[in-house]
Formats: sequence, structure tokens, C-alpha cells
Amino acid sequence: MFGTLAQREEPNGVVPRRRAYWITWAISNPRPSDITTSLPKKKATFSVKFEDMYGFTVEGNIDDVNVLNEVRERVRDQSRVWMDLEASKGAGWYLQTNDGRMSVVSLKLSKLTNTITLKNLVRKGIPPTLRPKVWLAVSGAEKKRSTVPESYYDDLTKATEGKVTPATKQIDHDLPRTFPSHPWLDSPEGQASLRRVLVGYSFRDSDVGYCQGLNYVAALLLLVMKTEEDAFWMLAVLLENVLVSDCYTDNLSGCHVEQRVFKDLLAKKCPRIAAHLEAMKFDVSLVATEWFLCLFAKSLPSETTLRVWDVLFNEGAKVLFHVALAIFKMEEEELLRARQIGEVIDMLQTTTHHQYNPDELLMMRLDLLAAQQFQALLALIVAFEKIGSMTTNTITKERKKQEPAVMAVLDERLKRLNTL
Amino acid sequence: MAHRVDHEYDYLFKIVLIGDSGVGKSNILSRFTRNEFSLDSKSTIGVEFATKTLQIEAKTVKAQIWDTAGQERYRAITSAYYRGAVGALLVYDITKKQTFDNVQRWLRELRDHADSNIVIMMAGNKSDLTHLRAVSENDGQEFAEKEGLSFLETSALESHNVEKAFQTVLTEIYHIINKKALAAQEAARNSGPPGQGTTIHVVDSSDAGSSKSSCCSS
Repeated sequence: MFGTLAQREEPNGVVPRRRAYWITWAISNPRPSDITTSLPKKKATFSVKFEDMYGFTVEGNIDDVNVLNEVRERVRDQSRVWMDLEASKGAGWYLQTNDGRMSVVSLKLSKLTNTITLKNLVRKGIPPTLRPKVWLAVSGAEKKRSTVPESYYDDLTKATEGKVTPATKQIDHDLPRTFPSHPWLDSPEGQASLRRVLVGYSFRDSDVGYCQGLNYVAALLLLVMKTEEDAFWMLAVLLENVLVSDCYTDNLSGCHVEQRVFKDLLAKKCPRIAAHLEAMKFDVSLVATEWFLCLFAKSLPSETTLRVWDVLFNEGAKVLFHVALAIFKMEEEELLRARQIGEVIDMLQTTTHHQYNPDELLMMRLDLLAAQQFQALLALIVAFEKIGSMTTNTITKERKKQEPAVMAVLDERLKRLNTL
Repeated sequence: MAHRVDHEYDYLFKIVLIGDSGVGKSNILSRFTRNEFSLDSKSTIGVEFATKTLQIEAKTVKAQIWDTAGQERYRAITSAYYRGAVGALLVYDITKKQTFDNVQRWLRELRDHADSNIVIMMAGNKSDLTHLRAVSENDGQEFAEKEGLSFLETSALESHNVEKAFQTVLTEIYHIINKKALAAQEAARNSGPPGQGTTIHVVDSSDAGSSKSSCCSS
């Protein structure tokens, strides 16, 4: 299923960089044989090692394995839904929803229907086989790429080859430390690909250069997109259009802004937790820094992360706040019992690492933001739509509000450090 | 802070690991707490921590070791990381001069964020890589003396001096706490009503912010 991007031979016989890595990755098939440890007869807290849908070796208990198998089943069901839609609406129908670029279907109503259908479908998950195409379309990455010559990425990697900068040094340091348990990312080939994407981007935007955390984001993009060039453009659109600006730049000011916005949102949406944590002097940045900089890639299991990214690329960065809130909300009772900061970090890390069920997390977010009750699915979606759009505005406003404070704090810090 | 929380331990001390990216902070953490070393550990982004309980002068001390990202741009984001820390292990890589040169900046970071009584141990890590050495032990020692820090060269890979580095820091913290407790006891005896048994609140956890004693808040 993954062999759709055939390798093309260049005239000189060099295998081009735009190629498929995961030809044989049978994502859509449940693979009970992936479970490498023989399961104990008595169901207990035994830990088993197994391979998840993107080839990561993960450790979990038997319940985790069961959940993961159910998720695989649902992914297959979703794939059928998408395939049926392709059959009825035509392949690439979702391209028509993206700000009217593909105006083959000129009827506005059908476009609108497609947009709504797409939004709901994306929230239920894009099938792994369609992710590259859909992500490129809905995120605007395809559009971004179309504004430069086709050879842009190849030219960039050629031009930056052999150059040494502080960014490339840090990248080289991090390559073997990026998901080292993943077979492909641990291979010289995988690391060379990741290096080209990260180094290429560090030259594209020298204000960002390279920020630790981007290695995890780019690695996961490579695994999904399957070609280096597509991964590169997804990284570009993320940093330049999807996320808050200056998220990864020299002083991480954008990330500081997000932390403050999140702190305020937590106080509004989960006041009990916020008050409890405040009393403990727990700062949300202790856990949320990683969430916002790695976009959950280092915290959640791969398929769960990618489900979050599905929504991220289609609806924007507000989903990061929703998911972050949902994680706290899910652990509410536990968190309220916590007495020490260490316990809080432990709880949140454990719950994220074991969140194999993306729907639970994403539904939690619906529940959280949709007037606390589930009604008919339609009503729920409508509620989410309304609150969702409000949230985007709220977040934009909140960011604006926090920016001066963040800049002041950062300036103050520099001044202080210079006098010490 | 260093309060008696339950029967498992007498004190809880928070120690932070700091130093440039790639000096081996995460491996020092795993060596000390789990006796593990991994050549291909993940780069740390947010906060990781692990604990180890050990005996110090007949008291049970739970050491909570915190680890975080080393890249420069992360420094401004970690003020919460330092809060409540009573000790710090400032790590550099003996094979990378730059990481030693940056120790001064890390010290400034500590002075800016951490309690002024924080106990600091400077660790020149990767001492097993003698053929690649770029910082002499003497330079490390001299710098440490000048700055009033404890100093050891460590190797997380060979498990050399890692335990000792933490033991030294924890013991020193324990002595400071003990001295303070005795002083408090003395003060209470002199000013308070006599005859009553004195309960020593080494640190009140609800008063973590205002307390100046070197204890950890978590």
C-alpha cells in the first residue's frame, strides 16, 4: 500500500531524494506477530514490548496491546470510509476544500459540504496511506512549495552540503539521539535523511537555525510523508504558518507565549486542577514545554500524535491547547490527590506515554470544550465548531496579550544575567 | 522542601543536572538512579527526573534528580526547573572545551534562578575518553576552587565517581540542613516556653517560596 511513490532513476543513476522509505510498512494490517514477548497467562501488570503502527518499539501492558489492536481496527474502518468517499467524490476531493485553489467543482455548496465533511473526517483520523497527500493539501505545504522552483529542495541540500554551523553541530549531535529505538531512524540512511531536512531548514530560516525538539518533529514527518522533500515542506509550513511565530527562534519567545496562554486556559477550563497545582507551585511549563515544542511527538504514542497532527494541519495550533487541556482533564482526580510536583510530572508523563487510544484523547477534548455533555453526534460537532472557532480567536487574543510580558521577562533576564 | 513526608524517607532533596547539550546529563541520571548507561539515549527536551533513596549518616534521603535540555535557547524557559533545588550537578564534557568554557554561564544561570545556598558540584564527565581529553583535570580543579565548587571527574559509562558526586552533594546538603535545624532548635529553646518538646519544621512545605533554607519543594 505504501509503494505508491515509485523510485525514479536519475539519468546518472543516482537514486533521487524524493523516494519512498516505507515500501513494505504494512500499517493497515493488524500485526499480532509484532508482539515480541510471549504474553503471560495471568493477566497482570506484565510489561510487553511491541511494535506500533509506525515501527516504534514501545513497552506497555496487555491492555495497551489490546487498545492498540482496536485502534488498528478502527484505522482500517476509517480507511474504508475514505476510500468510499474517493470513489464517490473522486480522488483528491479534499483538495477542493482548500481556499478554492482547485475550483474544478464550482458549486459553493458542494465545496462547503466538502469542507465540513473533511473536518469531521480528519477529526476521526486520516488513514496512514492518505496522510501525505491530505497533509500537504490541507496544511498549505503544497501551495508553499508551488511558489518556488521545483528544484528548490535539491538545490538547498546541495548548497548546504559540507557546511558547518552551530546548527549543524547540534543537529549532528542529536541525530543518533532521535528515537534511537526506531529501526529506520537508527540506520545511517535514516539519519542522513533527517540530517538533510534539518540542515536544509536551518539554512532556510537562520533565525530558527536548529532548535532541539525539531529533530523529533522532522523524524516523525519523515516517517509519515515518506519522502524527504515532502517532510521538509511540512516542516516549513508548520514553523512558518501553522504554529505561533518564533516558537523555535533564539529565545523561544513564541513558546513562552504559548506556555502563558496555556496556563490561563487551564485556569479557565480546569479551575480545580489549576488551583491545586498553583498551591503546589507547579509550573505547567515543566510538562508543556515538551508538548508544545515536540508537538507531542516525544510524549504520545505515534498514532495518537499523528491523529493530533491531522487536526493540527487542518485546523491549526489551537488543537495543541485542546489536547494539552484534555491530558490534564483526564488525570483530574489523580492530580487533585498529588502532593508533590514530582508526582504531577510522573502522572502526566505516564498518562501521555500510554495514551494509545487517540479517540479517547480527542473525544475528551470535545467533551471538555463542548458544554460537558455528549448528545447526538451532530449536536456535538456543531458545539465543537462554535467553541472551536471561539477558541482560535481566544488564543490569538491571548497570545497578543501575553507577548509584551514575555518580551519584558526575557529582556529582564538578559539584563540580570549580564550583571551577575 | 526537605520535609519529612512519610515513613519511606526522612528527607527529600531535589538536585538539578545542568550543562551544555550532550555532556552526558541523562546518562549520569540513569547511571545514578538505575545503574544504566545507554550510548543512544534520546535527547532531553522537557523535564525528566528519577529518584534514588540512600542513607546519609543514618538518615534515609530520597534524592530527586532533575534533567533537562541543554541547548542555550532553553535556558530561559527553565526557571521552574530550578525552583526548590537544593543541589546542582554542573556537568561539562572533558573532551569538549566549549562545554567547560560555558560553565561560567551556567553558574550565572544558577545564581539567577536557584536558592543562594544551593550546593554545587562541578563534574567533568566522560573521563573514560582520555585520548580525546581537551580539558585537563587540573584546569577543572582550579576553576572549581576559584568558584568555591566541589569538583570530580566522572564517567557515566564506566560508572566512575557518579555515585560519589551525588553522595558528596547530598551529604553536604544534609549537613547544612542539620546545622540549620540545630540552630532553630537552639533559638526555640532560648526564646520559646521551656519544657516543651520542640518540633522542628526544617521547612514548611506551604512556605516554600519564602524559605531561604536550601531544600526542595517537591
